Parts: sequence; structure tokens; C-alpha cells
Amino acid sequence: MSAAAELYDSVAYVYDDTLEGLLSAIFAAYANGEDPLDVVPERSLQPRLGQRVATIATNAHHADRVARTLKGQGGWRTFAAVRAAAVSEQPDAGTAAYRFVRYMMDEQKRRDCKRCRKRASCPGATGRGPCPRLRGRALSDISHPAVAPIHRIERSVSQECEHMRQFIRFEHLQGEGVDVWFARCNPKSSVIPLVMGHFVERFNVQPFIIYDENHGLAGVYEGSRWYFVRAEDAPELPSQAGEERLMQAAWRRFYRAVAVESRYNPELRQRFMPQRFWKNLTEMQDELPTALAPLS
Amino acid sequence: MVDILQKLDILADAAKYDVACTSSGVQRSGRAGQLGSAGMAGCCHSFTPDGRCVTLLKVLMANTCTYDCAYCVNRASNENIARAAFTPRELADLTIGFYRRNYIEGLFLSSGVIRDADTTCELMAQTLDILRHEYRFRGYIHAKAVPGASPELIDRLGLLADRLSVNLELPSSKSLQRLAPEKDRASIIAPMRHIQRSMAEDADTRVLMSRNMVYMGSHKPVRKTRAYAPAGQSTQMIVGATPESDYQVLSLAASLYRSVSLKRVFFSAYLPVNDDVRLPVTDAVQLDREHRLYQADWLMRYYGFQVEEIIDEAAPFLDTELDPKAAWALGHLDQFPVEVNAAPLETLLRVPGIGPRGARLIVRARRQSTLHEADLRKLGIAYKRARYFITCNGCYGGAGVAFTPDALRAQLAAPIQGGRHGRRATRQCEGQLSLFDAVDTPEKRKGCRSAGQQLGAAGGEAAALPQSSRQEPQDAGRAACATPEELFAA
Repeated sequence: MSAAAELYDSVAYVYDDTLEGLLSAIFAAYANGEDPLDVVPERSLQPRLGQRVATIATNAHHADRVARTLKGQGGWRTFAAVRAAAVSEQPDAGTAAYRFVRYMMDEQKRRDCKRCRKRASCPGATGRGPCPRLRGRALSDISHPAVAPIHRIERSVSQECEHMRQFIRFEHLQGEGVDVWFARCNPKSSVIPLVMGHFVERFNVQPFIIYDENHGLAGVYEGSRWYFVRAEDAPELPSQAGEERLMQAAWRRFYRAVAVESRYNPELRQRFMPQRFWKNLTEMQDELPTALAPLS
Repeated sequence: MVDILQKLDILADAAKYDVACTSSGVQRSGRAGQLGSAGMAGCCHSFTPDGRCVTLLKVLMANTCTYDCAYCVNRASNENIARAAFTPRELADLTIGFYRRNYIEGLFLSSGVIRDADTTCELMAQTLDILRHEYRFRGYIHAKAVPGASPELIDRLGLLADRLSVNLELPSSKSLQRLAPEKDRASIIAPMRHIQRSMAEDADTRVLMSRNMVYMGSHKPVRKTRAYAPAGQSTQMIVGATPESDYQVLSLAASLYRSVSLKRVFFSAYLPVNDDVRLPVTDAVQLDREHRLYQADWLMRYYGFQVEEIIDEAAPFLDTELDPKAAWALGHLDQFPVEVNAAPLETLLRVPGIGPRGARLIVRARRQSTLHEADLRKLGIAYKRARYFITCNGCYGGAGVAFTPDALRAQLAAPIQGGRHGRRATRQCEGQLSLFDAVDTPEKRKGCRSAGQQLGAAGGEAAALPQSSRQEPQDAGRAACATPEELFAA
């Protein structure tokens, strides 16, 4: 390849839209000695003109190595930021995570321990480990072009997590031999794995399923352990338990009763409770705009 | 069963004017086999059409009340409103039913005065008992302490609930005497002080036990007891029903924060629901005033402002056009502009357009690199407002506007954006000409069927202690060193 061609040679890494996939792609970039211009999941791949596309196979071992390095060199929060990027739907999330990891590792490499007071006792000074003072510091450099995007992404993902904690509504379903609490939700990012722990902790006395209809993913808690199931269509459900209808009616009446008409301010409500969530909210069923209303 | 729905309708409607609705302040992780957990920041599960959050099941135990407070729908003299009462069992079942569906974070329990304060408190404590001990509920519970109840009952509530509150109702004892003749200052402040003392005592005991600093160390407690109101106590007052100024209201709030260590003081704009000669004839709900009071309250709690910096006796009302922080900055232009790359956190917090989050981000980011205008925008600072008061690396961004209070005021003053909708103080309503006639609000139009007025709903209760005659007028809440008693007496 000529020098000129090399100049224009850029590569895009494609991964399989999982956290492990993203970590494997980051591993591959270091292993191949390349600096990919884009790191994207399959669904949002849009190669640039003349760009070479390399599909990176997910490798659990590589992913594990990168995850351990991230936690060691950058601290747990760094890993959480990369994890948020992996579930985000934003097209530049993978690239942002890759750029950030590069930046963070370079910062660690560039450190100078000669004048550090702790160089005698620090494992970082002898090259055996990361520098504790630099841990998590890359994430603090919020205005740096390699860090700002991942902050934006992490913020939007954590907002979506909060929305799920707020707006998930369980229904009590009972069939023969089945007794389960079911919730349907439609988050922008695939955040169910991130909030599942919260619900398992809080509702550990009731087996439940949270079904993400946008991503075809169901989080299942069986009463002792929990796991995820890919399901493109909603599972077949047993009918509602006896008191379910009453409870839903009670909640709707409560919601109507607490409104103060003299302070009516629907725009404010919509800002806090975006309309895209309304179709799965028990109390909003009466107020659904026609486009969102279920066909019946 | 339908019965429950009707009760819920009546009792939720009766409690809705109680503005306090927070589930924050206590972190309690889940435990295997028990329902519920609580998070430090709380969680809003829904939002009403007026944009307020619904986080707790906020209901009254009963809306029958033996007292006759002028502003309250549940008052004894309102004969044609529907009355209802939950049994402790019904209410506990409803709470658990809602909680398991993730509708709520917990229960907010308040009540009208049933017979007397002790009976009311006893019923509330029974409900919480069922929740905490029978259902082993670990969610959030906010309970109203009924003024005048015996200290033992309040302690019982305190050990079951996460947050306690006693409503101040009105910002001075003169007003209280006029509008709520059955209540008085002493019976409201006394339980507050009692709760404060009990909380302090509980905290001390815990520290001593955990550090094992007591003699006879072998006598360890067999079982951990529940903490006493771990999320602290709060209060609320109606603003606009009586002639008190913002200065009095804020001074009172500040002194409550200081001397009774309250977590929050809530303000509730007066909303007419009753016709009564003692009430002001106006149909303007002072939402803008309430908004400014909350802004001032935030300045005191999160920005390190003292109350006398925000407002003084000479100008006893907050500016409705300008937020209190900008107003302070315009009065102290000699301290500006400040250099964002060097100013300490406390100074950054005083710059209009920079909030607590922004100020902390600046401090964090400037350790790594020098901040310029573009960086500030990335950090989410309201640069449009902040630029008149800061320099970035020596660069002043507000050139072109004279650095005088008047010129800057023109740039910063703006109507309250939330005020575009709904019935606002500035908007005229139909039937406005009848300035001195009875006023008409949607709440009244519904007939007195709906219930509770502000706090009254929740605080529609109070000790029947005889009014003592100590309300000699003092000059309203002299500075911030006054005690709540003194301020309240104004």
C-alpha cells in the first residue's frame, strides 16, 4: 500500500452490540496496533467513504481482560462509564468509549513517578501496577474532548435508569401454577440489566418479570436468582389476579384525586414524565393521545 | 370493595393540599424476605397534571376534625362535605398493594383530629405498626405528629416512621390565633423540640454503642432498634392567607433550620376553598411568590447564604422579576467578576447561573486544565447568565453591557417560565370584576365535597391547649438570631 493510500486508510470496528463485544473491540485495537476511527455496533454501522470495515468477534476472555484493566487503572467508575456506553443507543457511544479508554491509558503511561513522594512504597512507581493518584482522574477531566462525550452518554443512560425506577408498573398475574408480577417498559437504551438489581433488592418477596419491548429483553427474577431472556415478542401471559383490577382502579382514582386544578400545569408534568412512557403507565391510560392508545 | 375506592377518593383529595411530598433522606437497603427499600435521593413515581411529584401514598387517616380552622376544608363547620375514615388494616393493605406494583415509595400519613390528638396518634401508630411489624415493610413512611399528642405517642411514631413533621400552618402566632383558634404556638413548637431532642438522643446512643465506649461492654444490645426518624423532621406553612411579609417567613424558616434542625420547610401558596370573613378576598394563588420563597430557601440550604443577605426589613418582599441570587449579586457588584479558574467553591456558588452541581464540576475540571468559555458551556453552566459575573482565564464575556445594577438587571430579569400556564397570580380570571365578592376557584366550585386545605388537611389537628396570652407584638422576626418562638410571636 502506498503512503498516500495509507494516509486515507481508516478502519471501522464493528462489534455485536454487547458490553463484551465493545470490550473485545477495544482489546482488538490494542492487539492489532490500530487506531480505528469508528467503533460501532452492527445496527448503526455506516462506513465512511473508502473505509475498511473489520468485524470483531466477541471474545469473553479478551473482554474480561479489558474489564479488569479498566477497573484497575481507572477505578470502578471508569468501568461503569464504559458499561453505560455499551447499552446506550447513541450512534457515537462505542467510539466515545474507545476514545476515552485510549486517553485514560495514555495518561497512565505518561505519568512520571520521579518526583512523587510515595515512589518508594507505591506499586505504580516500579511499573507493577497503576498509579493510585491517577485512578479515576481521567474521568474528572470533564471538558477534554475525549472525556466530554462519555460523560454526556453516561448521564443520559443514568437518566433512563432513573426513569425505569420511577415508571415501571407491575401487574399481578395468576394462572394455574403461575404467580408472577409482570411489568412492560420501553426505555431508550437497554438499561434493564442496570436496574434489575434495584428491583430484585426491593421486591425480593415476589417473583417478577420486567419486559423491555423496545429491545426484546426480559429480566426474570424467580424468587432467588435472576437472569435475562431474549424475547422478541411479549411472552404469553396468564390472566390478572383477583385484586389487580381493584388496585389499578384505586391507583387511577388516587392519581386523579391528588391533582390541584388551580395549579394546572401540564407542560411541567410532561417534562418530568415524558409522553413516551405513558402507554405503560397505569394512571395515564385515560389520557393517552390517540396515536399511542392501544387498538381496541 | 368499592367502599375502599370512595374512601381513597375522599381522603386523598383531602390530603392533596399538603405540599410536602418527599421520600428522601434515608438509605435503607433491601433485606431478604422483606418487602421494600429506601434510597437517599428518594424517587418520584408519577407526576400530577400540575407537575407536582407523587412519591408517597398521601392520604388522611380520617377527614373528620373537631377543629375549625378558617382555611381548611375539613373544618368542623363545613357540614356538607363527605367524611370518611380508613381503618388501620385497610390503609396498610392499600399501601402494600400499591408498593408491590411500584406505584409509590411508601406512605405519607396524616389525619384530621378524631376526638382528640391522642386518639388520632394512636390510630396512626397502629397503621404503622401493622406495616412495619406485620408486613415487615422497609419502604419510606412519613407521619404527621399531631400537636398536643402525648410525647410517648410521638416517640412511638418516631420509631416507626422515617420522617416526622409538625405543621406550622401560618407564619405568626397572631395569624394562627385568628384563623386557627384551637391551635397555638406552644403546642406546635413543643413537639418539634421534643422530636429534635429525641433524634439527638437516639444519634448519641448509637454512636456510643457502635464505638463500644461504654463501661460494661459485655451488655451489648440484643437486637438493633429502629432509628428515631432517620430522615429528620419537616414543617410547612401557608403563605398569602395572612399579611406576613417574605422577610418574616424566611426569617422564621432560617431560625427553624438553625434551632430545631429541620430538614425542610415547605411553603404552600394559599388557595381559597372556603368562604370566610377572616380570609383574604382574592382569587390569585400566589404561585410566583411561593416560587421565589423556595428559591430563597434553596439559597439558605445549599448555597451557604444567610437569611439577612437574601432579604432585609427595609424591602420585606422578594423581587418577583428577579431571582434572589441575581438580586444579591446585583447588590454586591464590587465582589464581581470572579475568576472561575481560581475562585473558591463558596464564591462560585454565589455566581448567578452557576449552581451547586456546576460549581463542583468546575472545581473538579479545573484541576486538570484551564477552563475557557467553551469548557464552561460543556459543563452545563448557564453561561448566558454567568458571563456578566465571571472571567475565564482573565477574559470577561459580558462586554457590551454596562457593569451597573440597572443594565445587568435588564439582562437577567425574566418572568417565571413555569408561570405561563395554569391560573397564575398575574392572570385575570373570569369573574374578575367582583373584587369584593366571594371568590370562585375550581376547588370551591366542586362544592365542599373535596377536602382538606393546605396543611390544615394534614395539620387539621392541634392541641386544644388554652390560648395563653403571650402574643405581645414584637418587631417581626428581628434578624436571624431570634428563636422560632420569638419570630412566631411577631
